[in-house]
Amino acid sequence: MSRQANRGTESKKMSSELFTLTYGALVTQLCKDYENDEDVNKQLDKMGYNIGVRLIEDFLARSNVGRCHDFRETADVIAKVAFKMYLGITPSITNWSPAGDEFSLILENNPLVDFVELPDNHSSLIYSNLLCGVLRGALEMVQMAVEAKFVQDTLKGDGVTEIRMRFIRRIEDNLPAGEE
Amino acid sequence: MAVCIAVIAKENYPLYIRSTPTENELKFHYMVHTSLDVVDEKISAMGKALVDQRELYLGLLYPTEDYKVYGYVTNSKVKFVMVVDSSNTALRDNEIRSVSAGDWRTTPGWWMFRKLHNSYTDVMCNPFYNPGDRIQSRAFDNMVMSMMIQVC
Repeated sequence: MSRQANRGTESKKMSSELFTLTYGALVTQLCKDYENDEDVNKQLDKMGYNIGVRLIEDFLARSNVGRCHDFRETADVIAKVAFKMYLGITPSITNWSPAGDEFSLILENNPLVDFVELPDNHSSLIYSNLLCGVLRGALEMVQMAVEAKFVQDTLKGDGVTEIRMRFIRRIEDNLPAGEE
Repeated sequence: MAVCIAVIAKENYPLYIRSTPTENELKFHYMVHTSLDVVDEKISAMGKALVDQRELYLGLLYPTEDYKVYGYVTNSKVKFVMVVDSSNTALRDNEIRSVSAGDWRTTPGWWMFRKLHNSYTDVMCNPFYNPGDRIQSRAFDNMVMSMMIQVC
C-alpha cells in the first residue's frame, strides 16, 4: 500500500482504509453501472490492464530488477518485489505445473477485501479481478503473454486467495528493432 | 450473556435486532423501544459533557424485574442497546464494583459494547452496505451470537 509522491525510490505510506474503501467504491459503482457481474469482472480486468501497462514502467524504474531469464524468476519478482512494493504483501508461490509454465500466487490476506462481504446477489462477481488485469497488462509490456485468474477467493469462503498464472507465449513481433 | 442486542439508527429506527429466545421477540422489541426514551434523556442530560469526553457508554438504562437494559451511543448518534438477564450475576457484580470506582472501562459491559462498535464499524466499511439499510452481515451476526451465548 505504498505509493511514491515524488519519483524517488522510497515508498510513502498511505492509509490502508482509504485505499480499501476507494477500491470498494469503485467496484460498487461498477456494479451499479453494469447489469451483470460478468460485465463488471470484464471491466475490472480492463481497468487493471490499463493500470498494468503503465505501472510496469514505474515498477522497472524504481525496483532496479534486471531481465528475468525464466518464468520462475518472473514469478519471484512479482511476488517478492512487485506485490511488496504496491500492496505491501508478499504472496507465496506454489503449485508449479510440471512444464513450469503455470503457478499460483497465494495471498494470505488481500488488502483489497478488508471489510468486504459479498452480498448473495453478486455471487459471480470476482471482486479483486483488477489484480489479474494488472498482472496481465504489466507482463504484456515485457513481452510475456500470460493468463491470470482467480481460482480461490476468501470472499467466496475459501481459506486463501489464489491467483493462477499461466504463461502463454513470448510476444516477439512488437519488439522494437535493435533490441535483443 | 445478553438476551437481546439491537442497533438503532440516528433517526431511531432499528438497523439490527436479534434476541434469544426467539419466541419472546416482540417483548424485547418493546423493551428496546422503551429504552430509546431513556437514551435520549441521558444524551440530552449529559449534553456537552458527553461530546467532550467522548464517553459513549451510557451504562444501565433501566432495570426490569427479569432484565437489565444497557445502552451505548456512537458519536454519529447510532445507538446500541443490550438487554441482559438480571440473574446473570457475573456481569452485575463487576458492574456495581467498577461504577463505584468510577471507571466504566473496566466493566464487561463496556467491553462488549466496544466489540459491538468495532464490528459495526467493519459493517459500515463494507462497500456493499448502504448506510441506513438493515444490517445483513454474516460477520456481524456471528459476533452478536457469540456475545449472546457466552455465559448462558
